[in-house]
Amino acid sequence: MINDISELYGRQIPQRDLAASLQRAVDIHLRPAISHDHGLVCQRCGSKLRRSLASLPNHHFYCYVCIQMGRVDTLSPLAYMEEPNRFSDNQSPLSWLGQLTELQTECANKVIEVFQRRQHHLLWAVTGAGKTEMLFKGISWAVANGLRVGIASPRVDVCIELFPRIQAAFNQVSMVLLHGKSEQRYQYSQITICTTHQLLRFYHAFDVLIIDEVDVFPYSGNPMLHYGVQNAIKPAGAMLYLTATPDQALFKAISRKKLSVSYLPIRYHGHYLPEISVIRVKNLAQQIQTSKLPKQILRIIAELVAEKQRFLLFVPHIKDLTRVADAIKNAGIMAKFETVFSADPDRLEKVALMRKRQLDFLITTTILERGVTFPGIDVLVLKADNDIFSAAALVQIAGRVGRNTDRPTGQVLFYCEVKTPNIKSCDRQIKLMNRKAAKL
Amino acid sequence: MKDCLLCGAGLRNEMPLGDLIRLTPLRKRTICEPCSAAFSPLESFPTCSGCGRKRTKEMPDPCYDCQRWEKDSQFKFINTALFEYNPAMKDYMKRYKFAGDYRLRQVFSERIHEQLRKQSAIIVPVPVGADTMATRGFNQVTGLLESDRYLELLNVRLDKKTIRQSEKNRQDRLMLGQPFEMMAPEKNQIKNQAVLLVDDVYTTGTTIRHAAALLLQAGAASVRGLTLAR
Ligand SMILES: [Zn+2]
Ligand SMILES: [Zn+2]
Ligand SMILES: [Zn+2]
Repeated sequence: MINDISELYGRQIPQRDLAASLQRAVDIHLRPAISHDHGLVCQRCGSKLRRSLASLPNHHFYCYVCIQMGRVDTLSPLAYMEEPNRFSDNQSPLSWLGQLTELQTECANKVIEVFQRRQHHLLWAVTGAGKTEMLFKGISWAVANGLRVGIASPRVDVCIELFPRIQAAFNQVSMVLLHGKSEQRYQYSQITICTTHQLLRFYHAFDVLIIDEVDVFPYSGNPMLHYGVQNAIKPAGAMLYLTATPDQALFKAISRKKLSVSYLPIRYHGHYLPEISVIRVKNLAQQIQTSKLPKQILRIIAELVAEKQRFLLFVPHIKDLTRVADAIKNAGIMAKFETVFSADPDRLEKVALMRKRQLDFLITTTILERGVTFPGIDVLVLKADNDIFSAAALVQIAGRVGRNTDRPTGQVLFYCEVKTPNIKSCDRQIKLMNRKAAKL
Repeated sequence: MKDCLLCGAGLRNEMPLGDLIRLTPLRKRTICEPCSAAFSPLESFPTCSGCGRKRTKEMPDPCYDCQRWEKDSQFKFINTALFEYNPAMKDYMKRYKFAGDYRLRQVFSERIHEQLRKQSAIIVPVPVGADTMATRGFNQVTGLLESDRYLELLNVRLDKKTIRQSEKNRQDRLMLGQPFEMMAPEKNQIKNQAVLLVDDVYTTGTTIRHAAALLLQAGAASVRGLTLAR
């Protein structure tokens, strides 16, 4: 229920969800939630709807595509209010005292320019380049100029990790974190950090919109989420995409000159990306299927645990989690660990335990391939030759290692039966970036 | 290829082997095997002869709740339930009824049709209030009955729908007066007829028993209940 008119600034909410006192406010614009002109089209998520599926009794229709965000239908129009940029004046909002490297400063200045000129731009920076810090000056400029800033990512973990960092850097600026699992109530704020799904509730809200990890599922190849992003940004707003592993869609946009690009091939601490070690193991898939692991893998795990060297152990499928966990337990390795996957109800707690150093390792699916950093870890990938590990996923996984100055290196071990094109491509990409970094 | 209405996974077109062997009427598949397995059909369990709930070893028949009802009310009422109100069913109701995903009626409408095909009784759905109709846009019970003939004989009385069902505690619910009224009582289509009342969930039994009392008062020869879940 919307009780305060400010909750409607730059947002689109079914009219029935407005408190009775707001129903007649003069500045509220209404538009149909579903248009009839050329077939049925949901105005919130842009989906073309099939009449037979979208029908309610009495010739009404609803959108079954974006229903997880609360239903929109022909029974209630979408209410919105123009974004008034009503924020308190703050000429120096940046409370962060850290330093940028010379190369980071170049990128940070580019970001300011992109925001000032309201451009659409891709910042392609290697994993661990410190891209969040490179945003600070740009966000600071935007906030000082009374602009509304959105930072969205397809991955909820990325949003959760980002929020405290942005909050610490701008401790006087109003800020809200929105995702499907959060209990935090919506509040009109100058900085919004949210999942790309949550953007569906915004309409012409953001002067500056940053999409982090833009190449990742579910955003990549999802027309609904793309439509949501276009709706959430003001018509002449600035858009900044961030990723370490651009996909074909981004390359296409760059070659069509719809998107400018800047590139940072070296990490903030100046060390190269850790290169991968590929270890071929016979019958690996078969052994895992029967809850067994080859001796050499068990030995490495036992050694890492004994040395208190924490690590992530990636597996391709949810069903592999318990099998690998059983294999480790049956081998008598005494360790504290958990398994995580995307729909795991305890996922956030388990990640927090790992961060608090209360676990030796996590066994995980690709859900932890990015966004989440644990300082000083190693990474092992079982069945790295499985199709689920795209080249981008493997680059991201390898990128979990060597993130902090205390331990800028580390092991990346890919266990597989065959060296697939994805593994080769990952290897090539990492080496290419390191070569580019060497030339700087 | 169609997708599972609940999880979106692709549905294979094969007929489940079980259906081939049993030669049950061909049911259109709307959900996948794993989603289907999460529901708990009550037909293969001992159930309470009053409310239709699954009966454990310690539970008398009828269950204590039903024994209390028998003491307090003037008439005997028998309800049959098709599924246990387990976490999967709770989640289904959340999506179908509360989120309003009307497509999800198809998850159970065929199963209900199978149950009602052989019915000679007049089928009467429990109604929803006018405010619910205005926001949700459908009655979740008639949605489930889309392949069946039914008579909408009941109305929710306007003065009684001020507190939502879910906000009342058991005591409030039992204390409240009759929430329903007969629609067009002058027609009286149920005089001396057997009636089958249909509702989505049997929780305390208050709602469906209020409806049953009203129908009996209007001259029905007998009233039984059928709910999707208990
Ligand atoms: Zn929609
Ligand atoms: Zn399913
Ligand atoms: Zn009972």
